[in-house]
Amino acid sequence: MSTDTGALGALLLADARLPTGGHAHSATLEAALEAGLPEERIPDYIRARLATVGRTEAAAAVVALRAARDPEPGAEPDYGPVQEALAARTPSRALREASATLGRGLARLARRVDADHPAVRALPTAQAATPGLRALRPVVLGALAAVFGMTAEQTARAALYEDAQTVTAAALKLRPGDPLTAVRWLLDLSPRIEESVRAAAATDVPHDIPAHSAPLIDRWAEAHARETRRLFVA
Amino acid sequence: MPENTASPENTVSPDATASPKSTADAAATASGGRRTLRLGVAGPVGTGKSSLIATLCRELSGELAMAVVTNDIYTDEDARFLRSAGVLPGERIRAVETGACPHTAIRDDITANLDAVEDMEEDFAPLDLVLVESGGDNLTATFSPALIDAQIFCLDVAGGGDVARKGGPGIGRADLLIVNKSDLAPYVGVDVERMVADAERARDGRPVLALSRTDEPSVKALCDWVRGVIEAHRSGAHTPQDPGPMAPHSHGPEDDGGHGHGHGHGHGH
Repeated sequence: MSTDTGALGALLLADARLPTGGHAHSATLEAALEAGLPEERIPDYIRARLATVGRTEAAAAVVALRAARDPEPGAEPDYGPVQEALAARTPSRALREASATLGRGLARLARRVDADHPAVRALPTAQAATPGLRALRPVVLGALAAVFGMTAEQTARAALYEDAQTVTAAALKLRPGDPLTAVRWLLDLSPRIEESVRAAAATDVPHDIPAHSAPLIDRWAEAHARETRRLFVA
Repeated sequence: MPENTASPENTVSPDATASPKSTADAAATASGGRRTLRLGVAGPVGTGKSSLIATLCRELSGELAMAVVTNDIYTDEDARFLRSAGVLPGERIRAVETGACPHTAIRDDITANLDAVEDMEEDFAPLDLVLVESGGDNLTATFSPALIDAQIFCLDVAGGGDVARKGGPGIGRADLLIVNKSDLAPYVGVDVERMVADAERARDGRPVLALSRTDEPSVKALCDWVRGVIEAHRSGAHTPQDPGPMAPHSHGPEDDGGHGHGHGHGHGH
């Protein structure tokens, strides 16, 4: 594979058409609306995610990228510490499992892109650190970012952009609305996204991943997991 | 109650699924060496896909190790129907969320279904047959060969006798076309023989089966077809085909001369 794939990789990982299972996820928006979140507050919901769970996940993706790119001298990459740190910062089991499902789709892509790349070969180290839980989405995102040669900023932005667009795309399936309005929401949030990109890109080691929690999102996600009538996984 | 209204050609043979060599990237199909046959069932809403799957489970689960993955607009309606039919142990029937895009989940992004199929094959190994039921969609929705090895497209007489003439990838090039609920034909004014003949013209000799769950010979023909595909899959004689996302030669109702419908362009798109 060509080595000059960083910029394209950043676009690929942010593209909703990437066939890795994201279309069946709503970033907990379905449950939020079900619990009574008014639809006019969807932009606030995105903003809240960017400041909390989005920032934690973006930081984890950056730390995974660094683990892949700069392993201990003479050693293979080890995603165990970042996987453990992120799992510990994701209190909702439903959200851990949703993230692992998304990670599984990304891992299938990573193996198809370059199964022999050290960053891909090391993916089993993530699950080994958290038995029963596959590699979480940000961990695999970081691994893919390493394969593509992306920067920390590109990796963080891909994670945050994808989180926000997951909400906007799901919003159009869940409530009436003009698709162009959803684009506006995203553009209006770009200062928040860049702020979170800078914070995430400055994260070096698992210990520094912020433990931003959003208890309402956790509660909604747990309730959603017990629903029988769902459009979205989570 | 009703006689078998199907035409004599209804003795379907899996050999008829052998079609031109696929140009698909070999890596895009995952059947190499796998014991389990992954069989998709697609077709418009309400044509009897769940009922067809319940029939297959009822008839074949005694001789084959089976599991079912369902897709629905609202998650688990079909899974609950199948569980309540009692045709398979409940844990062998799993529902997959499709984010309101059942079409996407079987073709453009098969991740959720592939995860479920792989999980089933691991949890209940060794399986002979995994059925994947598409959430009912329109005439253009067909399975990617990266997800399934063979597919059934399901129409019904109640949808109108002219549907088979409309063509499309599923009607034209699925491995088997079912014209379901043939017992209802007299009540909806449809001539099943004509509908089957229309479908056969659109399919270049690929098999068509008029089916009613109350018509034993037709159920037996369906089961024999499935057994034949499993055998061909195991011997390596069966190659997954992509019916294609498009109907290559669909010229609308005025072009009804019995030619030009889907002449084997189901590759290379």
